[in-house]
Amino acid sequence: MDRECVSLLPRVCEVLAASGSSLPDDTSLEKLLDWFTGLTKAGTSLLESCPCLLEFISTVVHNTALDPSILSFTLRLTGFVAVTEVAFKVLQESSVLDLVFNLQHWQEAGLWEDPCIRIGWIQGLRTMMQHPKALSFFVQADFLQPLLQLQTDKSLFVASAANQMLAHVLLSCQSVSSVGSNDVDEEGEDVGRSGGSIADLEYSAVTVETNQDYAAVVTAISECLKKSLVPRENTQLHQSLQILKLLALLLAQTRPPLWEKLLQMVADSVDELLVAGYSQLILPLMDVILAAYSSCDVNRRAPDQRVSRLLSFMLNIRKPADLIQAAAAFLRRGLHDLVHTAQSARVLLLPLDIITGLNLLTTTADEQRFLMMEQLKNKTSCISLICVCLTNTPQMTLMAADCLPCPPVLIVTAVLSLLKLCSGDSSSPSSSSSGCREVSRNVIGSSKVQKCALDALTALSGSPGVEVKLAEVFTLLVQCLDNPDSDPTVLQKSFQALVQWMSVCSDLSSITDQHRQDLLQVVRKRSCDIRWEVRDSTVEFLGRLAGVRVIQTTAEEASDASVAVLGGCCFTTPLLRAALQDTESYVRASAISALAQTLAASWQQGAALTQEQTEIVNQLLEVLSWDTEGFARRAVVRYFIAWLSSMSSHSCVQSPASSSLLMPSVRSVLSRGSADLDWEVKVHTLELAELLLDEAFSGQRGYTKGNPTQTHPYAVIPNTLHTRTHNEEDVVGVLNSLVQWGVVSALLSGLVDCDRPVALRACRLLITLREVVCPLSLGALDATAAMATVARVTCELPGCGWAREIRKMLVMKAKDANAEGGVSGGEVVNCDDCGEAGQEAASVGGQTPCVSVCEVLRSLDLDERLDVLTRSSDHVHNSPLSLLQDILTASSARSQPDTQQEVIADCY
Amino acid sequence: MKLYCLSGHPTLPCNVLKFKSTTIMLDCGLDTTSVLNFLPLPLVHSPRLSKLPGWISKDGTINLEKVLDARELLDLSTIDVILISNYHCMMALPYITEHTGFTGTVYATEPTLQIGRLLMEEVVNFMERVPKAQSATCWKNKEIQRMLPGPLKDAVDVWTWKRCYSMQEVNSALSKVQLVGYSQKVELFGAVQVSPLSSGYSLGSSNWIIQSHHEKVSYVSGSSLLTTHPQPMDQSSLKNSDVLILTGLTQMPTANPDGMLGEFCSNLAMTIRAGGNVLVPCYSSGVIYDLLECLYQFIESASLGTTPFYFISPVANSSLEFSQIFAEWLCHNKQTKVYLPEPPFPHAELIQTNKLKHYPSIHGDFSSEFRQPCVVFTGHPSLRFGDVVHFMELWGKSSLNTIIFTEPDFSYLDALAPYQPLAMKCVYCPIDTRLNFHQVSKLLKEVQPLHVVCPEQYTQPPLTQSHRSDLMLELQPPPMPYRRCSVLNLPFRRRYERVYILPELANSLVPSEIKPGVSVATVSAVVHSKDNKHTLQSVPKPPPVAPSKKRKRVMDEPPVVLAPKPLLSGAVPLEAFLATLQKHGITEVKVEETADGHILHLQAEDTLIQLEEDGTHIVCDNNEPLRTTLRDLVLRFLQKL
Repeated sequence: MDRECVSLLPRVCEVLAASGSSLPDDTSLEKLLDWFTGLTKAGTSLLESCPCLLEFISTVVHNTALDPSILSFTLRLTGFVAVTEVAFKVLQESSVLDLVFNLQHWQEAGLWEDPCIRIGWIQGLRTMMQHPKALSFFVQADFLQPLLQLQTDKSLFVASAANQMLAHVLLSCQSVSSVGSNDVDEEGEDVGRSGGSIADLEYSAVTVETNQDYAAVVTAISECLKKSLVPRENTQLHQSLQILKLLALLLAQTRPPLWEKLLQMVADSVDELLVAGYSQLILPLMDVILAAYSSCDVNRRAPDQRVSRLLSFMLNIRKPADLIQAAAAFLRRGLHDLVHTAQSARVLLLPLDIITGLNLLTTTADEQRFLMMEQLKNKTSCISLICVCLTNTPQMTLMAADCLPCPPVLIVTAVLSLLKLCSGDSSSPSSSSSGCREVSRNVIGSSKVQKCALDALTALSGSPGVEVKLAEVFTLLVQCLDNPDSDPTVLQKSFQALVQWMSVCSDLSSITDQHRQDLLQVVRKRSCDIRWEVRDSTVEFLGRLAGVRVIQTTAEEASDASVAVLGGCCFTTPLLRAALQDTESYVRASAISALAQTLAASWQQGAALTQEQTEIVNQLLEVLSWDTEGFARRAVVRYFIAWLSSMSSHSCVQSPASSSLLMPSVRSVLSRGSADLDWEVKVHTLELAELLLDEAFSGQRGYTKGNPTQTHPYAVIPNTLHTRTHNEEDVVGVLNSLVQWGVVSALLSGLVDCDRPVALRACRLLITLREVVCPLSLGALDATAAMATVARVTCELPGCGWAREIRKMLVMKAKDANAEGGVSGGEVVNCDDCGEAGQEAASVGGQTPCVSVCEVLRSLDLDERLDVLTRSSDHVHNSPLSLLQDILTASSARSQPDTQQEVIADCY
Repeated sequence: MKLYCLSGHPTLPCNVLKFKSTTIMLDCGLDTTSVLNFLPLPLVHSPRLSKLPGWISKDGTINLEKVLDARELLDLSTIDVILISNYHCMMALPYITEHTGFTGTVYATEPTLQIGRLLMEEVVNFMERVPKAQSATCWKNKEIQRMLPGPLKDAVDVWTWKRCYSMQEVNSALSKVQLVGYSQKVELFGAVQVSPLSSGYSLGSSNWIIQSHHEKVSYVSGSSLLTTHPQPMDQSSLKNSDVLILTGLTQMPTANPDGMLGEFCSNLAMTIRAGGNVLVPCYSSGVIYDLLECLYQFIESASLGTTPFYFISPVANSSLEFSQIFAEWLCHNKQTKVYLPEPPFPHAELIQTNKLKHYPSIHGDFSSEFRQPCVVFTGHPSLRFGDVVHFMELWGKSSLNTIIFTEPDFSYLDALAPYQPLAMKCVYCPIDTRLNFHQVSKLLKEVQPLHVVCPEQYTQPPLTQSHRSDLMLELQPPPMPYRRCSVLNLPFRRRYERVYILPELANSLVPSEIKPGVSVATVSAVVHSKDNKHTLQSVPKPPPVAPSKKRKRVMDEPPVVLAPKPLLSGAVPLEAFLATLQKHGITEVKVEETADGHILHLQAEDTLIQLEEDGTHIVCDNNEPLRTTLRDLVLRFLQKL
């Protein structure tokens, strides 16, 4: 703990105990508690290091006139202080503890009405309850009854905290009792499980007497569970809900003897609750049953008979909406239970079966079918039921085949025919019965169902054996895309589904020319859509499609899907270039990234540049200079990153033609990008610079790719890196080209950028560069000698903007060095014109002064700068010291009302 | 109350309502689909059209089908008034008002009249500018018709087809129109009151309320709830109707106007980008305003800034300008623009910036300004006459060009038939903003009419989509369907009539209160009915009998008006009555309860008194004094008027 903080704490305590209302803001107390939490976790004993706390607590607890928030804070603080047994004893002996947690005390003071006192009381107890002493204290003070009452408190937070606390008490009792019964095996398991929180149990002397107390607590809680589980009237549903939540917590965490006991106690009540069939309680009830069930599953025990029976009951409830909910909840857990999984699948497929008229389920109970049908006739519940089913469909198809009532292909068919129903053009067999017609009418034109169905369809693409449906899916999705009434999200999801299906079913032989024509037509149309969202998803689709590898039957070789279905660049590029002119910046940005994706293949193959690509590059550079929106400019930089990285990864086939265009463009991207107003553009530009660094120095000794500080100490460094020997001439050449490309200027301008992420990244890259070119480890004397040639590489520092900043830094450094009389002081800056006067002269003369790159790198104090930049900007403001000082300042401001105004402004 | 249905076309209605001695015609739409049976009328001689096998261009004048030869059903001269709901529903007006003996009045709003006149003018102009030297007359004869080529041979009811009217007839018909404003009340012969309400479909379009003092009939025709340019629909005034006649729902229930507008724009942009021309066959008023507005916003984002838009129609100029001056008939947004002052429609700006140009026809200035690729809006949507015929011939051969149909009135395949084979792309985006079934069922739930009358087409799903049970009206009680030529007895009886009392007669009344707040008086008077107004006047004093020399019989004297017998009201309370009887010495009374009241058996007197809700009988044989006593006792409990 900070010495300074410790010295401030007594005064802070005084301030708090005197009057709480003079706090700088209402989060201060929470921040203080956070600090104490951190200290406690770090193993500091609060009482030892801050003895003033004891006095603080005992003062505050007697002064009930204080602000309730201070009192609540004190209650919680007491919990932290008493977390160790030693401190607990001290508190108890000074009789503070009894008063702090004395309910009557608070009730008499009329403070118990305030929810923050109640929650403070619960949380204080909860924090403290880490050792048997605290537990005994709890039992002896008979806090159980009030706690049970708080469970249905009108404040949701209090109720939930009480629930957590009850669970905690019961689990603690469980551990203690098992220790008491000397069950060595259990205990060993215990300590491991509870992660040391009750680690000091071993030396606790648990008497038989206290053991009985614990048994009484367990009995009392389970009695209460049993009694309050079934609501007597509708108004008590809230209580049942709370009890169910608690029960779910307990059954998931307790172990056999207690688990058995709990289950034994509540089984009848749960039965009763099930029969009563309260719809609001279905999900919590299912949670309880599933918690019990999965606790068997996790502990590799055979599922309990009672639990299985309850589960079967749940999956056979009469109310269709509840039934679907229960089945969905079961499937989400992903338990290994073939029988119930199969049953849930059947339940969830029933609505689809009914609405599409496809025989997904060979047999269903007529009654269940009838009830479901009636439910589906109501429009709202129909849509919500169908959506729940669709959301769970993909998971179903991943199940073992013997769990599914029908093959996945049939489910795909059902989803397809549901989509047809939605668009209103259905000739599905369902039209035969009037009931089905009534049901299917509810989904016509419902875009909610459409969205869910499209999601399901996308996810179903991976199911086994569904490839045969590709042509059908293709046709339907194209129809969806063509439908004038489809809303933008539906169109977007259709595009996504199309890409997904094509990427999974890489064999496109079933796609006919007609299919292709239809898709071409619809893509063309949607790229001119009146809504920008639609144009955006169309453009995105074109890009994604280019990234999908497929096999065409004719050529028998892999190509991308864009070539296979749309005819490749000759179709897509004109559309994308037109999209570059779009009025909406998102569309322009998407078009740029889509262009990068479509051209990626030709870059990788090292194909010669076309006239069109040259035009595109010019267009993109124009976007970078002129576009008013950041999205498009960011996309341009990413385009060049993609291009450069695809070229460097295939450097063997690098064609001179393309690099003759690439490198000049990269150069202008670097200069324009680093001068951009948008920080993300600048960060991307630095990424581009990093790529160039990687390329230039790959294999160079001392060069570590990426962030040097993040390299794992045990990482294996490939041998190849060491094979290239350090050749100074090489380095000079490379450094020269980096300067020419503008990498060095970009990095230097980034370093002085006011946006921290930019500066941080630039700083890291500069350090990397320094380590390769002129490592500091060589020492100043060695360096000058060893790098005589490298030091000759210079870069320009023009007379404005970022360069002025850099210059200032260099001058400061030089002055410092001179003052210290350092050896290399005079040589840091290789010409005098770096001084203010010289600078003026240089700009008048029209020449830009040059500085040695090496010297700049060595003189900029990059490591110190990195250190500053790594810390978040509010690190000073957020420190505990600052917090304590704030509290003190606020209180002194209060005592001198004149300055109050000022302080409020400060807080802001 | 009777409804005569003269048109089977649900969006071009023509119904006659007989209500309280008035005969009211509701709309007179003109179904022009019969023109599809004929060849297009080219502006210049077309060798291709004249040489089509099996087609003989003989009868040049296009025939228009009139709603119905209504004379069979009722005599058009008996019609008192015609109420017009929108300019599309008045195109048959000259056929009804001219040469039929019609003497009544036509009521319409000003934009309806003006734009209706433009549309009629346009049709007449299209016809008259390509006059034919000869016209066939005998072909309607069944024998000859059988020998005619294809579609004409199979056409039914050709005898109802009429030649197009002339400008003179149009003017004469429109001179009978009397202008009304929304919510203005017009008295018809004192019997009923009619008033138009905004229907939200087009400029000046209206629904009508026809009401007497005790009955209310609403006529809903061509309404829209979408926020396009017209004033929004007035729904609340339709509440509490006894009968609601519902016509003019959307013809395209599956085509959502928003989606179609989007479709229109993207197809247009796609064609222009590929270097093609776009042809939009449309009416010269209505949806075109919305299309232009939508394009105005879209031009920028689709980079169509330099593409010229042409609007060619004999009435193009008037239509564009009329739309800007009917500010009070526009939606709120557009109305407020007028006060800025700004033109309410953005097409003014398009014209100013030369992006939109309009011409009366392809002759003259247009040919010198014409630049391609371009977008052309022109009529007629049937592709049988008007300038559109020329553009079809001009652009039909290139697959770069596109024709986009936006009007829902004609089947686009039939419209295109004579131009086949056609290389031009063809897109069908019918934009019909009228109410769809979903909206109408919501509306009816809101206004809750007692009875709904509608064309039978609305009571079942469309023939081609029999599974779409969402595309029909489902109401409780079910709507009364009508079809062409049916006569419906509307299911409500007139029960009350309003009668006025003259002041002097009213003065002479002596009301007496029979229960708190209700007073009753008897009146003797003479009913005087004139102009459907009923007045009670005092009975004229009998003229003093002229002394007659020849005294015939005494009985011949005018009957002396006797003072009417007082009317009794009230009920006889049993207990009190028994007590009274007892006071009068009648003690042995046996009371028997019956379904309607009580029977009192006075055993000693051997007399029965039947006390019932609407009568009291004293059955007493041969004891007149007792009967009189009993009668007086009963009368004590009753009130006299």
